[in-house]
This record gives sequence, C-alpha cells and structure tokens, in this order.
Amino acid sequence: MAVRSRTDTFVLVVNPVQCDGYGHCAELAPELVHLDEWGYPILATAPTPLAARAVHESARLAVRHCPRRALRVERHPAAPASSRSGARTE
Amino acid sequence: MTALTSPYLWYTTRGTGLVTLALLTVMVCLGVLVANRAGGTRVGRFELAQIHRAVSAITVAFLAIHVITTVADSFVATGPLSIVVPMTSPYRRVGVGLGALALDLLGTVWLSSLLQARLSYGAWRAIHWLGWLCYPSALVHALATGTDARHGVGLAVVVVSLASVAGAALWRITARPDRAAGRTALSPPSPPVPRRPERATEIEGRARG
Repeated sequence: MAVRSRTDTFVLVVNPVQCDGYGHCAELAPELVHLDEWGYPILATAPTPLAARAVHESARLAVRHCPRRALRVERHPAAPASSRSGARTE
Repeated sequence: MTALTSPYLWYTTRGTGLVTLALLTVMVCLGVLVANRAGGTRVGRFELAQIHRAVSAITVAFLAIHVITTVADSFVATGPLSIVVPMTSPYRRVGVGLGALALDLLGTVWLSSLLQARLSYGAWRAIHWLGWLCYPSALVHALATGTDARHGVGLAVVVVSLASVAGAALWRITARPDRAAGRTALSPPSPPVPRRPERATEIEGRARG
C-alpha cells in the first residue's frame, strides 16, 4: 500500500456524460455533493485532505454505488504550502 | 435422485414457486422505483437500490430451492436439462419451458450484476433489460404449470403480481424524470466541458459558498 501523506488531497469528479442524475451520490457523500434543481450533482471543487477519513470514505461509497458509474476520486499530492494550509482548515 | 417421490418435495416446489413469483414482483417494482428516481425524503434512493439488490438475492435463493426440488422430485420427469433448456421437458413442455426461460434470463441478469465491475455500463444495462422478459415468462409459467395459480391464494398472488408489475411498467414508461433538455451533470474543475458561461459561474459560486 502506498504511503498516504496526511497532506495529500482528493477531489470527487463526475463524468457529466455518464451521469444521469440518480442522486445516490448526494445521499452517500452529502459533504461533497449537492443536487441542482434537475437532480444533477454539484460537487465540491475544493480539494479535501485525505486525512478527513469520513469524507474520503463517503466519496468512495458514492463512487462504488453510483448507478451509472459516473464518479471517480482523483488523488492529488500535497499542494503548495498556501493551499495546503487552506485545505487543513476544515 | 432416481426414486425421490416425497410429497414434501412437491409441496416445497409449489410453495417456493409462489413465493418466487411474489419476490420477483417486489424485485421488479423496486427496480422501477430506483430507475424512476423515487425516494429521497423518507427512504433514500440509495436505500431503495440496496433493497432491490437484497430482494433480488432472496429471489434467486428461492428460485434455486424451487428448481432443485423440482429436479429432485422424480414423480414428474423434469430433469436437470429441461430446467435450463426450454421446451425439453416431457411434463408440460411449454409451461416448464417458460420457467426454464425465466430461470435463464434471471440467471443472466443476476450474473451480469455480480460481474458489474467487469462489464461496460452499456452491456450491463442491456442485459438488465432482460428482466422485463423474465417476469412475463415466469408469470405465464406460473399459470401454465402451477397447479395453485388458478384458485385461492395462488390466484390472488398472480392477480396482485400482474397488476403491480403492469402498473410499474406503465409508470416506468410515462413518468420519466424531469430533465432540462440536453442537460447533463456539470463538473466545474475537470474535465472542462463547454457550457453556457453564466450557468457555469453560478454553479462555481454555489459550490464555493
């Protein structure tokens, strides 16, 4: 298993073509997903630190249970100091 | 297996057959609820999908018992082959054949869902549509072969089942979820999708706020 830095971040990303607005992600990862008025997800754009384990677990559940398999979690290595400190304040 | 003719095998076949039909009905209706985006307030949509999965698993289990006891019961000569291959049963050829067809279809849908991660979404979905063929063959199988389906509890199950699935099918066709024409989900950061700019900025603002 790769070493997971506490300062690494992730972003939940949707494939807009594949998504069909089932809305399961908003129930599984309410920290990251809101639905717009048509039922499509609006995802948090700010990277979340992997250290926020509950949020990461929610994101992984949303990816796994997306009926259209339209979601994925993108991991990012620790960002430069300025935005890292921003991500830590959660 | 040659000389098993216990009446209990026959009773189990009949009982599990009826229960399987009822479960199949619930399974189809739950699938329609998921597809039509029902739920979200008192019952989560995700929860409905999980219940659909669970009921499907129970349905497969009851169908397995139904089929195994049919084969094991040597009173009627319905062997292992005619369980899977339609129109090969010497006993009630068409009725049992439709049951075999329903079994094959449900088995295919079930396997495809188990292997969902290895299939493309399109392939999985195409296979999942076979469920709409599985249900009618199972229902006609119940009427043609089932000795309980024409009176009493059996008839009640068949009537309620048919009414529920017909209603669900009608709802599935008519009540497609509202969609703004041509709209899809937006993913502001990546990948970049050309969109009406005012909409994109509004969403970005909302996500930040």
